[in-house]
Amino acid sequence: MTEARQYGELATQLLMESRRSTQTDTLMKYNDSLVRSIIREQRDLEKAINALLIDGRPPPPALLIIQTAINRNKRCLLAYHSHRVDRLRDMYWAVGGALPHLLSNQDIRSKLSPHEVDYMRQYNSSVMEFRSEFSHELDITASITNPPKDLHVLVHVVKDCGVIQTELGSIHFEKGQRFMVRRADIEHLIVQGFLEEV
Amino acid sequence: MDWDTQYELMKAGRPVTVAGPSHITRSDHTRHDSDEGDIPMGLPSRDQEGGRRRADFLVDEEEVILTPLEQLTRHWMNERHAPDILPAQEDLLTSLLDHLRRQSEAVQLLREDPSTSEEEHIRIMLVQTEVERVKFIVRSYVRTRLFKIEKYARFVTTNAEVQRRLTAAELDHASRHAKITDQHFYVSVLQGLPEKQSHLDDTPLFVPPMVTEPDKSRPVFVHALKQCPRIRLPDGAALDMEKGHISLMPYAVVEQLVARGEVELI
Repeated sequence: MTEARQYGELATQLLMESRRSTQTDTLMKYNDSLVRSIIREQRDLEKAINALLIDGRPPPPALLIIQTAINRNKRCLLAYHSHRVDRLRDMYWAVGGALPHLLSNQDIRSKLSPHEVDYMRQYNSSVMEFRSEFSHELDITASITNPPKDLHVLVHVVKDCGVIQTELGSIHFEKGQRFMVRRADIEHLIVQGFLEEV
Repeated sequence: MDWDTQYELMKAGRPVTVAGPSHITRSDHTRHDSDEGDIPMGLPSRDQEGGRRRADFLVDEEEVILTPLEQLTRHWMNERHAPDILPAQEDLLTSLLDHLRRQSEAVQLLREDPSTSEEEHIRIMLVQTEVERVKFIVRSYVRTRLFKIEKYARFVTTNAEVQRRLTAAELDHASRHAKITDQHFYVSVLQGLPEKQSHLDDTPLFVPPMVTEPDKSRPVFVHALKQCPRIRLPDGAALDMEKGHISLMPYAVVEQLVARGEVELI
């Protein structure tokens, strides 16, 4: 298969994906094949450079162009991965640091590369370690989008979530029921989509 | 509670200026004539003390003693607006968290006590709500710092000056974060590249460096809390900020003033 391609064209495609992901605010599937092709391109470029460097002769101008292409491809690859992990961290905080909840979602899980799953696990343990500094007084992974106005909140159960300990004792949340509960006790369940505020 | 204090003052026959709606409290901080009635929201036991001290300072233009919560709110706002990581407020945070814990314990005791009256239950509820709101600010403050620390993790691990501004826990998190991010880059990208390309610290010409640093030229809104020493703007002009003056300028210009608490970011 011979295609006439400009240097760095694949990397541009990769960046377009990150761009689209930001603009549509969605996590896209990890593009393994494109990443691999760019890495292959990098190896080819490296070979091209080595072929150009002949002892005793001044380096030809083409060297500069190839070197620039190499640098650019590399930055694009790193930018793509860095954009993705930033996005994953945002998603992690949006569900209040409930990593199992995130990873058990098949739709999300299928979009991650195995390395990204590893990364999230490591990140999670790092955050948990940091959180343990505060655990006596407060949970730093709780929501910070809206300051609390009321102590209690009326919730509607969207998904069964079993028995939860609250200040009123343990409550069994079953789908379709409504409860008036203390916000701090069940906030994480709202964030994870088990309960809905009425 | 602030209304408790007001009630006490009224009983004592002192004139009380009722504090206006909360949205004007900002200007109240800088006003001295009717400060007596302006007792800020805060943790109850410290409020009275704070209010009294504040009254003593009516004559003194320079110093207004802030309650710990007000201090935290200011640090929180500065932290949220500054591009750089500001010095950690470990003592302040520890004392506030201790206070929150003591207050929660007191609330728990009172709630379980059957002789607690209905009126007190309402007060307990207010205290609990306030505790939750203070926790919200602490959380937001800690998370804002965490966000910046993660963003600049690689920079933090190499820069001793920034490291002094972090707590031990934050520093640990920064180095852990830099490590796992590097590792992720390595297994996903760099290990597949030829040896010459597999480093994270190259500095090609005409390309921004790979280590993200705080952008101190980012514009910030600055509110002068007192008469500030003359500052020089990037175009060479000089600016004397009066108390209460608000300006938009690059962070680098006011970095020192923020550190000394002469201005706040809004």
